[in-house]
Amino acid sequence: MAVDVRTYPRVTWKEGRVASWLVTLDHKRIGILYILTSLGFFVLGGVLAVFMRAQLATPNETFLTKNSYNEALTMHGTTMIFLVVVPIMAGFGNYLVPLMIGARDMAFPRLNALSYWLYLIGGIVLWSSWFATGGTAKAGWWSYPTLSEAQFSPGHGQDYWILSIHILTLSSLAGAINFIVTIVNMRARGMTWMRMPLFVWSILTYGILLVTALPPISAAVTMLLLDRRGYTHFFIPSQGGNVVLYQHLFWFFGHPEVYIMVLPAFGMISEILPVFSRKPIFGYKAVAFSTIAIAFFSMLVWAHHMFTTGLGTGLDSFFMISSMVIAVPTGIKIFNWLATTWRGNLILDTPMLFALGFLALFTMGGLSGIFLAAFPVDWQVNDSYYVVAHFHYVAFGGIVFALFGGLYYWWPKMFGRMLDERLGKLNFWTLFVGFNLTFLPQHMLGLLGMPRRVFTYHHGGLWEIYNMLSTIGSGITALGVAIFVLNVWRTHIQRLGVRAGNDPWLADTLEWYTTSPPPPQNFDSVPYVTSSRPLRDLRVRLAAEES
Amino acid sequence: MRRKLTSFSIVAVAALVAAGVATAANGGLAPVTPASPNAHHTITAYWVIFAFTAAIFVLVEGLLVAFVIKYRGKRSERALEGAQVHGHTRLELIWTVIPVLILCAIGIVVFIQLPKIADAPAAANPLRVTVEGHQFYWEFDYPNGARTINDLYVPVGRVVDLKVVSADVVHSWWIPALGGKIQALPGITNHTWFRAEKAGTYEGNCAELCGLYHADMTGRVIATSEAQYQTEISKTAPANLGKAEFTGVCATCHGMSGQGGYGPNLSNNPLLTQKAGLLSIVTRGRGRMPAVGDTWNLEQLDALAKYVRTHVYTGAASGG
Repeated sequence: MAVDVRTYPRVTWKEGRVASWLVTLDHKRIGILYILTSLGFFVLGGVLAVFMRAQLATPNETFLTKNSYNEALTMHGTTMIFLVVVPIMAGFGNYLVPLMIGARDMAFPRLNALSYWLYLIGGIVLWSSWFATGGTAKAGWWSYPTLSEAQFSPGHGQDYWILSIHILTLSSLAGAINFIVTIVNMRARGMTWMRMPLFVWSILTYGILLVTALPPISAAVTMLLLDRRGYTHFFIPSQGGNVVLYQHLFWFFGHPEVYIMVLPAFGMISEILPVFSRKPIFGYKAVAFSTIAIAFFSMLVWAHHMFTTGLGTGLDSFFMISSMVIAVPTGIKIFNWLATTWRGNLILDTPMLFALGFLALFTMGGLSGIFLAAFPVDWQVNDSYYVVAHFHYVAFGGIVFALFGGLYYWWPKMFGRMLDERLGKLNFWTLFVGFNLTFLPQHMLGLLGMPRRVFTYHHGGLWEIYNMLSTIGSGITALGVAIFVLNVWRTHIQRLGVRAGNDPWLADTLEWYTTSPPPPQNFDSVPYVTSSRPLRDLRVRLAAEES
Repeated sequence: MRRKLTSFSIVAVAALVAAGVATAANGGLAPVTPASPNAHHTITAYWVIFAFTAAIFVLVEGLLVAFVIKYRGKRSERALEGAQVHGHTRLELIWTVIPVLILCAIGIVVFIQLPKIADAPAAANPLRVTVEGHQFYWEFDYPNGARTINDLYVPVGRVVDLKVVSADVVHSWWIPALGGKIQALPGITNHTWFRAEKAGTYEGNCAELCGLYHADMTGRVIATSEAQYQTEISKTAPANLGKAEFTGVCATCHGMSGQGGYGPNLSNNPLLTQKAGLLSIVTRGRGRMPAVGDTWNLEQLDALAKYVRTHVYTGAASGG
């Protein structure tokens, strides 16, 4: 039969190089969009951090005005939380969850695309507030009233902030529902709950926590908006409002938010450590169930952020005990990770270095948290640089180190090329030294009495020494991030990266079963899953067949 | 080379810490040297937690380093598997129960210390002062009706019972040597206390972001003998009160001699001589100028008007 040449497949505009990314419903492309966008915001937020450190390098410094300092601290916090860590986890979740559970895509691809585009819009709204009347919001990422009310924060920056939070919560909520439905319904044959990769466990709890924690923050900022632009007075005490109500609503979201960010990081560590230890995770069930325990208790600890609000001994005691309870499942994880490396064959590639670095630094952040949970001690260190040091050990030393580990680990899968190992090691050590130099002295500053969120200080001596060290550290940290960018440049723009096969690390989970990068449909066939390490099972079977 | 570098950096860090300990009382390894019973007991609790957490820290980091050294493998032998250990229930129970016991111990210590930190000791004659946070100064009201700004005068050895409130946004009262923080909330009354054990001046900064001048909102507690305290707070002579108001409130933005800064130059502004206009701005605010004196009484306002007219105003600007 003759071929009719007129029926060649039509190329539509949707297949263009740029347009195909704009209209994509592919979870892998959406995941990559999420990750690259959050890395862009990470650099922006990091620049603000370096500016703040420059301002604090010496006493009575005038590098930034007090106004821009308050803008910088608010934008840095809001950006890092809402535009970097939460969405980059959504990015990794998007990319990896369907691959790890052997699915074709997320359950609702269109909703998935909507989540990403809402996130991008929310980010643009927040960052366009630099051009708003009166500049950006300046009341800190908590935006406590009455400081954030119209009387004390005139101008539109705070309104941009509220709008952005609204958009971002919608984005996260849609994404969270998508993750939950996907994980519950679309796992490969044989993948029971106890055979699910631990990263997928962490994304499931991430989703559940987002669904429970986001409504209170949406409510709180809606009330704030009504106070500012309507005629309500939820938080205006002179008209019968209550400022502590906002603190409760904010932290009822704010503390689960910490675990929303850190649980997926835990999940990454639980994937990387076993692969590079050439061992199974030590105590799969303990690690999985401790994730759920942490998620549950994370909703009962919010007022430990409010020990200085004057809640009374009864409430303070309750929240101290619940905060200490949450240290137990966290400790279980740390010891199980340690035991995973025990008697292993540790391959110290860059992802493993970051995972080990995470373990070292997160432990420090967890332990300094115990001081903060003990509320009489918290009265002394709360709202000081000690707290800044503590949560950066968790958020940077913990989460960001896990993220870099994850980037180096899954990069070959996402883009088909290996990042350079030598630059990777340099990247790790620069970040490790820079990070510790930045944040270790901040513990001391807090104990010496330096409150957080001050644009300057008037003390010389130790205050000056520790602040200068911290500023030097922030420069080294920035250099570490630059080395990562250089590594990506050399790998992809200069095309020096070695092509990765399907499974360069000899890993355990299903995403390594397909090509790097995977085809649009992900898999041609998915093996029946017989354990939590389906790829190792395959390797063992192949070896047995060969011999 | 690498070993040399490592040992050098260890020595450098040790030297730094030693220097720190030598110059300050503790170099920032513990809260500042306490000068009030509640602060003493806070430090006791701090060191107990420090001991436990330091032990855990050394254990975890030590094991981590030891395992990395001992079980380090070669990249070329990636296919070589480690011991396929899937878990060990008894071990996992041990590292669940031991942290529980440690946390119970910490909890017990905290609750033993708590009453000595949180509750003011029953004293026959406590000094009750109201602390009111303002953007961006602290205002202190004494039982005899005296009022001071930023400087709180107290007699040594007497229990000081503070009622902490705010006139505008959330502030946080904190003098590190005299105990922990308590938020100054608009619409809600909080309490805290201290007892200065030695004469001296104890400084602290507002600890809750309260706006543009948050970093400049410093408070001082000046502990003196009972007799000197009595003279200090009886000095409500308008000149002194007016000076305190100007340097504590106005000078934040307008400079110590009214020369201007964030706010405009005042020294040649004839408004300083027009009492009604001046008081209207101070009590109601105008534009970027906040209503700093909206809770001030007549005596305070008079004192300010008199002070700025005689001490800040230098005459109208000469033409040109």
